[in-house]
Amino acid sequence: MNLYTSFMLITLIILSLPLATNILYVHKNKAYASYVKLSIAYAFITSIIPTTLFIFSGQEMIISNWHWMIMQTLKLTLSFKLDYFSILFVPVALFVTWSIMEFSMWYMHADPNINQFFKYLLMFLITMLILVTANNLFQLFIGWEGVGIMSFLLIGWWYGRTDANTAALQAILYNRIGDIGFILTMAWFLMYSNTWEFQQLFMLDNNLDMLPLVGLLVAATGKSAQFGLHPWLPSAMEGPTPVSALLHSSTMVVAGIFLLIRFHPLMENNNNIQTLMLCLGAITTLFTAICALTQNDIKKIVAFSTSSQLGLMMVTMGINQPYLAFLHICNHAFFKAMLFMCSGSIIHSLNDEQDIRKMGGLFKAMPFTSSSLIIGSLALTGMPFLTGFYSKDLIIESTSTSNTNAWALLITLIATSLTAVYSTRIIFYVLLGQPRFISMPIINENNPLLINPIKRLVIGSIFAGFFLSFNILPMNTPQMTMPTYLKLMAMAVTLLGFVLAMELNIMTNNLKLKIPSSTFKFSNMLGFFPTTMHRPIPLLNLYMGQNTASSLLDLTWLEKTMPKIMSKTQMTLSTTISNQKGLIKLYFMSFIASALMMFLLIS
Amino acid sequence: MKLPILTIVMTTIFTGTMLTMISSHWLLIWIGLEINMLSIIPILTKNQKPRSTEAATKYFLTQATASMLLMFTIVFNAMHSGQWTTTNIDPNNMIVSLTMIIALTMKLGMTPFHFWVPEVTQGVSLMTGMLLLTWQKLAPISIMMQMFTSINSIILLLIALMSVLVGGWGGLNQTQLRKILAYSSIAHMGWMMAILTFCPSLTMLNLLIYLMLTIIMFTMLNMNTNTTTLTLSNLWNKSPTITMMILISLLSLGGLPPLTGFLPKWVIIQELTKNNNIAMATVMAIMALLNLYFYMRLIYSTSLTLFPTPNNIKMKWQFQPKKRSLFLSPLIILSTLTLPLSPVFSTLN
Amino acid sequence: MLKIIIPTIMLFPVIWYSNSTMIWINMTSCSLMINLMTLPLLNQAGNNSNNFSLTFFSDSLSSPLLMLTVWLLPLMIMASQHHLMKESPTRKKLYLSMLISLQMFLIMTFSATELILFYILFEATLIPTLIIITRWGNQTERLNAGLYFLFYTLIGSLPLLVALIYVQISLGSLNYLVMNMWFQDMSSSWSSNLLWLACIMAFMVKMPLYGLHLWLPKAHVEAPIAGSMVLAAVLLKLGGYGMLRLTIILNPTTKIMAYPFIMLCLWGMIMTSSICLRQTDLKSLIAYSSVSHMALVIVAILMQTPWSFMGATALMIAHGLTSSMLFCLANSNYERIHSRTMLLARGLQAFLPLMATWWLLASLTNLALPPFINLIGELFVIMASFSWSNVTITMTGLNMLITALYSLYMLTMTQRGKFTYHIHNIKPSHTRENTLMSMHMLPLIMLTFNPKIIMGLTY
Repeated sequence: MNLYTSFMLITLIILSLPLATNILYVHKNKAYASYVKLSIAYAFITSIIPTTLFIFSGQEMIISNWHWMIMQTLKLTLSFKLDYFSILFVPVALFVTWSIMEFSMWYMHADPNINQFFKYLLMFLITMLILVTANNLFQLFIGWEGVGIMSFLLIGWWYGRTDANTAALQAILYNRIGDIGFILTMAWFLMYSNTWEFQQLFMLDNNLDMLPLVGLLVAATGKSAQFGLHPWLPSAMEGPTPVSALLHSSTMVVAGIFLLIRFHPLMENNNNIQTLMLCLGAITTLFTAICALTQNDIKKIVAFSTSSQLGLMMVTMGINQPYLAFLHICNHAFFKAMLFMCSGSIIHSLNDEQDIRKMGGLFKAMPFTSSSLIIGSLALTGMPFLTGFYSKDLIIESTSTSNTNAWALLITLIATSLTAVYSTRIIFYVLLGQPRFISMPIINENNPLLINPIKRLVIGSIFAGFFLSFNILPMNTPQMTMPTYLKLMAMAVTLLGFVLAMELNIMTNNLKLKIPSSTFKFSNMLGFFPTTMHRPIPLLNLYMGQNTASSLLDLTWLEKTMPKIMSKTQMTLSTTISNQKGLIKLYFMSFIASALMMFLLIS
Repeated sequence: MKLPILTIVMTTIFTGTMLTMISSHWLLIWIGLEINMLSIIPILTKNQKPRSTEAATKYFLTQATASMLLMFTIVFNAMHSGQWTTTNIDPNNMIVSLTMIIALTMKLGMTPFHFWVPEVTQGVSLMTGMLLLTWQKLAPISIMMQMFTSINSIILLLIALMSVLVGGWGGLNQTQLRKILAYSSIAHMGWMMAILTFCPSLTMLNLLIYLMLTIIMFTMLNMNTNTTTLTLSNLWNKSPTITMMILISLLSLGGLPPLTGFLPKWVIIQELTKNNNIAMATVMAIMALLNLYFYMRLIYSTSLTLFPTPNNIKMKWQFQPKKRSLFLSPLIILSTLTLPLSPVFSTLN
Repeated sequence: MLKIIIPTIMLFPVIWYSNSTMIWINMTSCSLMINLMTLPLLNQAGNNSNNFSLTFFSDSLSSPLLMLTVWLLPLMIMASQHHLMKESPTRKKLYLSMLISLQMFLIMTFSATELILFYILFEATLIPTLIIITRWGNQTERLNAGLYFLFYTLIGSLPLLVALIYVQISLGSLNYLVMNMWFQDMSSSWSSNLLWLACIMAFMVKMPLYGLHLWLPKAHVEAPIAGSMVLAAVLLKLGGYGMLRLTIILNPTTKIMAYPFIMLCLWGMIMTSSICLRQTDLKSLIAYSSVSHMALVIVAILMQTPWSFMGATALMIAHGLTSSMLFCLANSNYERIHSRTMLLARGLQAFLPLMATWWLLASLTNLALPPFINLIGELFVIMASFSWSNVTITMTGLNMLITALYSLYMLTMTQRGKFTYHIHNIKPSHTRENTLMSMHMLPLIMLTFNPKIIMGLTY
């Protein structure tokens, strides 16, 4: 089994090599970007070996390397957990990132700080891998926070833009709300279980209090942009497209779901938390799908679709199918990264135009991108025998056949149908019809740095699901039998969505609504979430900071009650006491008076 | 004033105080006080300005009253006990002990008999003021130390506390340096008297350090004849080193550790606490901050800011100061840096 | 201990006899050499204290703080160079003498065995700091700031003197080494509550506790760079150190008396962090962030568990380095923009990329990014307070959120965004400045690898 650990470590070491070269000034080199890309590729290849070994032997293991410190009874070590989840996730993440890196070499080639950009991307990936392979809560937290901070840096990459900075700060804000939950869980486990090691946690007690689990759920809600803490995800589109691709496919956003998957042993017997997850996931998936319907920014649509898929994963967690959720994470990574790269390619070719109303007819101009986009969209909607199908269909099936909340199931089904609707909308507006863009830009997609990664991911989007689900044993018992109509349900709603959307698009293509309907407003205004929740609360807090905390308390009350009042008193007393007239008669008067008083006092 | 006359007058002043300090007979003590008081009048009126005349008059009137009170007490005591020795004062005789306190505190200028101190000090020159606030304290304190066992401690503590308060508050409102130092003297007298009935050797210690500090303060002010805060703020271009020294001495006078001025405060608080007088100790310690506050104002204008006016006498520091003071530097060192020697002082107990 | 104190004292002749061109070089190199002598202090065999004499000792609580103090002197010297460029050599020497005397007092404060000695030295640090703030500050408000600084601290600490003397009289000794061996429980009476207050308030003011913190933003804002650095890095920690030491003798009373203070701290933490979100003044922001971090330390110390003590100690060291670094960065901005207003220093990343990296790192450590020691400190405090009462997590968690926000807000405001036109011809960052920042950052990173040396007594 030595191959197993050593190759995994080699993978990690290869990844961190480009960072280490900072010291050697290699990063000033023009070729730094390709170093990074190559190292990721090598890391991917290396990581295939333990994955293969795992597939054939099914052996899990823990690498415990470095003893960091022991606090009282708590031992903190640097340890990696190589189990089903991490060992499968690592190659997927590496494969997807490899493509994204290559893509960014094309996309970011004009950026003066391209080396730094690659460094950031790499660190983003590394922190994600730390998160995935962590064997204790602390190490997981390192990755967790690292991912958050790197997303801050990457979203705010174009730091001259106010929007980018706001979006970056917003990402941190929502993530930190989630972190409160994480910290809560850490504290709870430390207090009651006295350990942060996963094995020990899982062994101790499976009928936990709700509190830590809710904490985990909050953490996952923040990181995976579930309903309530979702607004940062669409805003994060202010970052460069490769960042969006990486953020949405294999890093960051899936971290929340991954956390829940990790802690699944503690949740599988707890119905309450599962119901919570189910409802949250269902609301998220529907809400964000609705929001996606009327967006005009191509990246925003894809972003909302990610959010919707994350909701679906959460639903899966809610019906107690973590392995399925994990499968969906892996599958989703391929086509989502590709969708972003396609949209990046389109955006780049159209001179940074992101509005789908100003595109159209790109099928002719960019055949490769268009076909990839279509494949990606189809995979996203769960067309049979594309990657998405293998997980999504299973999810819908097991949702429909499970005996939980019918309401949540219905919502999920509607969201699935809406997935098809917005996918159609992208395809319709971007690829079909007449070109609506200015004819100035030279559209050219024939750059190997663009074509190759998309090509790889197309292959991934078509076959990865097949490979993943047929090579890896399903850990849960899949639903074996079901009525035909249930089996066809997912298919049917998706097709329904396609047909409806196509009809509607053709119908309304040249029509403009005189007065936007309220449903349209709801969808276009992101469900009025920003106006009701997103803005007022921070505003209120900022007002509180200014008015209550600063002006009222600090500058008025504390200042007035302590130093000011004291100096006032002293001043009064001082003027009273030292206000002498210089008249000796009066002095003698007072001498006599005080002498008399003393006599009185003493007798 | 001519030198021979000055010599004679000064000798008389010193003789008077010495006489008070060494004798154990009440009459001699009283005579010493009177000699001292009478002979300081010419010094006070040395300048022959209306101000100093007024000061001398006020000083004479209060001191004479105090002396008369003292005489009255002595006679009254002799009448009761038939004795003229200092140690023999009946503490149970209210009139005697109280009048004695009143007489002596009036001589020392403590609240509520303090009104003359700022004005007299303000009226005379710096060096005379120094004499007034240092040497003139010796005689009354020496009497008090001789008879501390028979003093009504409650009244004395009351007076002491009031002096600390008045010394603090009074000085806050002043810009004249001599007045500020007068108020600071009132406050210090308060500290000395507070501890007198518990441990007179600490009064001694406090007196010593107070004397040193007041002497160096006056000497330094005298070097450039500074009498107001305004002139202090021009000091930096006359004698930059002195500004730093004033800073240190004032902080020491305010009793900020690790300067020597903290030592008496510390041991006094310790002694008071030991005698379960915690509230008094705390109040006095806090009230000492008032003094520190107005010292801080002086420090600010002397050494921590540069006066923002153009001055025509720049580079004055290149001339040697005419007034020389022999003992200034050792005194400054003594009065600021001797806190590490505090174990030595503990042998005083 | 004399190995450290005497070289520190000998820095005075070094500086007064140096050539005026050699002042900085001599001082920096000599003070860095003193650092080497503090390193053996870390070797605390068997977690015992090193008792050097009856007067001085060091244990695992004081030696990290001591090292921090000693480490900070060369940094302060490096940071002040630009500030003092236009001063005459004598004034430079005077300024440096103040810094040296401050370091001397601080070393002795942290290593004193006797509480009264500790008290005297604790107060002694006021004088050099006051002079640094009011003499070398920039605006007229510095005078007010100096007064606030002096009088808040003194009013708080004079009752401590009385209390200490009282304890000495009733217990017979104020030696830590002895007090550890035998201490009696305090009786549960009003007077012992008062004693508790008297003992703790001095340090609460110094920390500062929310409500008594007004002096801190003022002093920080007005102080010259070295003053801000040493205030944030070491002087605030004096409070924490004193509390950690004194709570030994205040044992059962702390349990009751801590409640209102813990509440106040938790509340004040949120308040001060919210203030940070609305600050326009860079130094004021950092100062308020210190208040909110120190509130965590107070909470931890008052909670009196081994975990919280570890957290408090670690947080003190971490915050010392971080806030000092932030002040240095703010100062380097100030030297270029000539204003502390954040709005005037936007988009500096485009001009000073390396400085932007330092800003980033400093902000990240300030918001307690894992695995920095800042996180270890905060995490432990949060854990301890969680086990004290579950509800506190809402406050501490919220504070964590706001801390992250204002740290990054500060970063975004100064480094990101469009640059303003008046910064077109700013100077590039000096090697001195970059060295300075890296010398702040390196210990943070190195301590992250082995945090147990700053975990204090209860590790």
